[in-house]
Amino acid sequence: MNLYVAALGFGLISVSVISIAAVGFTMQFGITNMINLAYGEVMMVSGYAAFYANQAGVNIWVALIPGALVGAVLSFLLNRFLYAPFQRKGTNLIGMVIISLAASLMIANVMLPIVGYYTSSYVVDQGPLLRSNGLVLTTAQIAIIAVAVILMLGVHGLLRYTRLGKAMRATAANPTLARNCGIPTQRVIDVVWLITGALCGVAGVVAGMNSENFSVASGAGYLITIIAAAVLGGAGQPYGAMIGALIIGIVTELSAAAIAPEYKEVVAFAILVLVMVLRPQGLLAKRGALAAAG
Amino acid sequence: MIGAALILVACGGSSTTGAGLGSGPLLVGVLAPFSGADASFGPRYLAGCYAASLSINGAGGIGGRQVSCQQFDTRGEPADAVPAANAMISGNSNLMGVVGCTSDEASTVVPILDRSHVPMFCMTGQSEFNKTNFKYFHRLVPPDSFDAYAMIGSALYGPNHPPYKNVALVFGDDIGSQTFVGPAVAALKKLGVNIAINQAIHLGAASYRTEVASMLQTHPDVILTETIGSAGTYMKEVKQQNGGKVIPFIGTSATIDPVWFKQVVDAIGLQDFLANYTAVDLKLSLQGAGYDEFVTELTAADSKFPSSNATTYKGKSPTVHLYDGIIMTALAMVAANSSDPTVYNPKIIEIANGVSGATVVSTFKDGVAALKAGKSIRYVGAAGENNFNQWNNSQQGYNLVTMDKDGNEVVIGELTQSQTQQIIDAGGNA
Amino acid sequence: MNSYYAATLLVYAGVDIIACLALNLQFGVSGIVNFSFIVFQAIGAYTAAVLSMPPDTAYGGYQSYVGGFQLPFPIPWIGGALAGGLLAIPVGLVVLRKLRTDYQAISLLVLSVIANSVITNVRPFLNGAAGIAQVPGPFSDQVDPLSQSYQLLYVGLTIPCVLLVWLVASRIVNSPFGRSLRAMREHELAASALGKNPVQLKMTIFIVGGIIGGLSGAILVGFIAVVAPSIWLYPETIILFAAVIVGGRGNNLGAILGALLVPVGFEEATRLIPPTIGGWVPPPNLIPAMQWVAIGLLIIGFLWFRPQGVRPEQRRVFEGAPIREDSNDARPA
Repeated sequence: MNLYVAALGFGLISVSVISIAAVGFTMQFGITNMINLAYGEVMMVSGYAAFYANQAGVNIWVALIPGALVGAVLSFLLNRFLYAPFQRKGTNLIGMVIISLAASLMIANVMLPIVGYYTSSYVVDQGPLLRSNGLVLTTAQIAIIAVAVILMLGVHGLLRYTRLGKAMRATAANPTLARNCGIPTQRVIDVVWLITGALCGVAGVVAGMNSENFSVASGAGYLITIIAAAVLGGAGQPYGAMIGALIIGIVTELSAAAIAPEYKEVVAFAILVLVMVLRPQGLLAKRGALAAAG
Repeated sequence: MIGAALILVACGGSSTTGAGLGSGPLLVGVLAPFSGADASFGPRYLAGCYAASLSINGAGGIGGRQVSCQQFDTRGEPADAVPAANAMISGNSNLMGVVGCTSDEASTVVPILDRSHVPMFCMTGQSEFNKTNFKYFHRLVPPDSFDAYAMIGSALYGPNHPPYKNVALVFGDDIGSQTFVGPAVAALKKLGVNIAINQAIHLGAASYRTEVASMLQTHPDVILTETIGSAGTYMKEVKQQNGGKVIPFIGTSATIDPVWFKQVVDAIGLQDFLANYTAVDLKLSLQGAGYDEFVTELTAADSKFPSSNATTYKGKSPTVHLYDGIIMTALAMVAANSSDPTVYNPKIIEIANGVSGATVVSTFKDGVAALKAGKSIRYVGAAGENNFNQWNNSQQGYNLVTMDKDGNEVVIGELTQSQTQQIIDAGGNA
Repeated sequence: MNSYYAATLLVYAGVDIIACLALNLQFGVSGIVNFSFIVFQAIGAYTAAVLSMPPDTAYGGYQSYVGGFQLPFPIPWIGGALAGGLLAIPVGLVVLRKLRTDYQAISLLVLSVIANSVITNVRPFLNGAAGIAQVPGPFSDQVDPLSQSYQLLYVGLTIPCVLLVWLVASRIVNSPFGRSLRAMREHELAASALGKNPVQLKMTIFIVGGIIGGLSGAILVGFIAVVAPSIWLYPETIILFAAVIVGGRGNNLGAILGALLVPVGFEEATRLIPPTIGGWVPPPNLIPAMQWVAIGLLIIGFLWFRPQGVRPEQRRVFEGAPIREDSNDARPA
């Protein structure tokens, strides 16, 4: 029984890492209609930015800041110089997906000669190991969970209580109408890319802390789990992404305990398939998901 | 077109000895992953090739022909490897040999190279090549199954501990790691050792906390592992969840690598690493005249090809072995006095195993001199002596090793012939 | 260029053309964004492999897989094609409902990742990460597979398949069925108002595409004699999508052009980048990395400068139709 409680605890860490990333991803999709397959690579680049800071002696928790900055700037530039021009040209959704994949290929292969093929790791002081009723977590891991909670509350606060948040929700729902109501949608979209880019950056650093070893190849690994969490919760819905991350994180670790660990991701994805069968628009999506093909 | 015609003639021609070495530059192809998940493999083979080419050219080349190296990226998967191999053969009529062919692509490229009569030295550990009929295939590294047997040998007969009774197998779910598990399980079962858990982990996963928790529940005495790239992540969890105590772990020969060393030491600390880590390695002495020449040329390669980082590979078994393979191929050409692979390929094994009364040489230069004096030679090179069996596989047996505080390999014991044979028989030499 | 390399290029071109024709039917003509397409090629390859291989105790028993029936040509190829079609049924039932295209796309993408992960880890099923090797090609008992005549034979088997698939695809595209598909792609609501059943149409074309995709896998595995999970990771699907879009979606000639340009052209041409530039020898991993960057740039470049593809879909105009001022129908947003 202890194994399952421990697995639950480990699941919480996974949830934290996935949720930060998934919320950013799903907001990019919800507000700008962009399935950004380069998201994982941006996480990886931000992770390396924090790595270089860490190598230079900066404490890894402080290095979250350069990580977030790099994520924000890179995402902003990606949109400004690649995605937005194509969207203005009227490229359809699938063309945009292919472009984002091309972008991810390019980012990964430009990083490779720079950082090399071997894995890197941060210097993280894990702190004392805490045990309680079967849960086994270090202080650093608890801190990761705390970071995730703070960021989730922050996103919630942003969306619900600020003017910017309202503008973002309006733009997501109906860009044309929002513009007609005087909302500077172009500026809102820029800000969205900065904010979600920052989330992406933090997620990249936290993922690196979680994994001990990361490399250029880690980027692609992050992406699928993030997509799964976002889709599970209802693509475009930030609260949905949080719930999706919760389900996937916990189920993954519990199934590693209950079944063989090599299938842990498969079980999580199987849940996703089940949800797709029963509720294809995702858990929290509104009716927009079921619109006619477009 | 002319190149193709030459190849056809070479394949169809009869074995006339001593048709001469020809003229013009010669090429060694490094057919391996240079991109994708295993992109780190290609460069270490290329470094070996550079060193060999410098050693050969410095001694006047092969009948005056200068040797150069070129990489051909297989992208780490069979479907991309086929055009790479075919493009390499079709575009280079002066191909004298190929090195590389890892388990990512060997199944598809070995037949291609063999049918084009290209002598190759392959790094794949796959069991399918244990008893192969490909005449141009040569393997200087043992199949992965042998690494697995050696690890079991270490668990049973290793120094400084009684035989372990409860073994945990922790390997990745990739091809390279997969080939250890089957033979290991078979051997352990036959020998009556309890397999506490057989865990296949997904390499590169974010964390292995639950996996480690499951493993710890089975209370193994020892962990047999490879998990390149994820070992640090896994072992860190082991230490953390086991109350700061690390379980003894035995690595494959691939773990004897500065990067692996760094990852795991970063994860669990030097003290625990030194106290608990052992590995198995091919009996690579890294000494002797052949090795000295290898290091000299590797250093020269570093200045001639600065981006190759050649000297970082001076302790790496693939680099050393492939260097030897190329030297042997070159000597075979000189000995046969022919640039026709159907003529010189059989000589490679002769030179490696040596006929009775052969003069032992350890560099290309010495080999050429001895051949000129009419002697037959045996090349004992940077990796020591080779003994090819009837299936063109050669290995020298295993040492039990660990690493010192700087990550250098230290031999702590070895397995005797009978111990090794017992385990091989138990595992079933597939 | 020797005959083996030429044969490789021709067979690969054939396989890619067949795959792109299938994808064009699913995506270009019908608008189904099948981001799991590569799985259909994979199941065709695996099925052809287990049908044509001897039992897994052969060659020393180093592989473990189901099947091993040693059936002769053309059964493995037919089996591969059928497997692709059969797979399309459950996948279609799960995903092809009233879902927005992008949701469909992501769901299918995740399905292909799941499939790859399952096959890699359930080792006795299809031999896991190592895949199945030494797959005998058609007539490999009668003709030595390593000989030049075999290469000729293989090209000779591939070309008729390409022509057959092209014929079938052309018939479909130019038939009433094809018109229904295009109607469904352009305006699903209107099409169903006219009595067309979109779900049924989608299932049908999904199955047809699956069959053709499975055939392409069977042809590939017979040639390279190996099938492994590393061959069918999800980016392969995206490369095929890029091919269909670059070539020109919705029409078969465009799909063929795309297949020749992207998987064959871009991927192979980048091998020609010289290993040394001037006297400078770049770091060993640099050129391969730059090859991928080049592929990415090519795709983006094509989509920017010629988004309708090299050969755009022809707008079909019918005599007697009232002349419209704007040929792009203004649809509500």
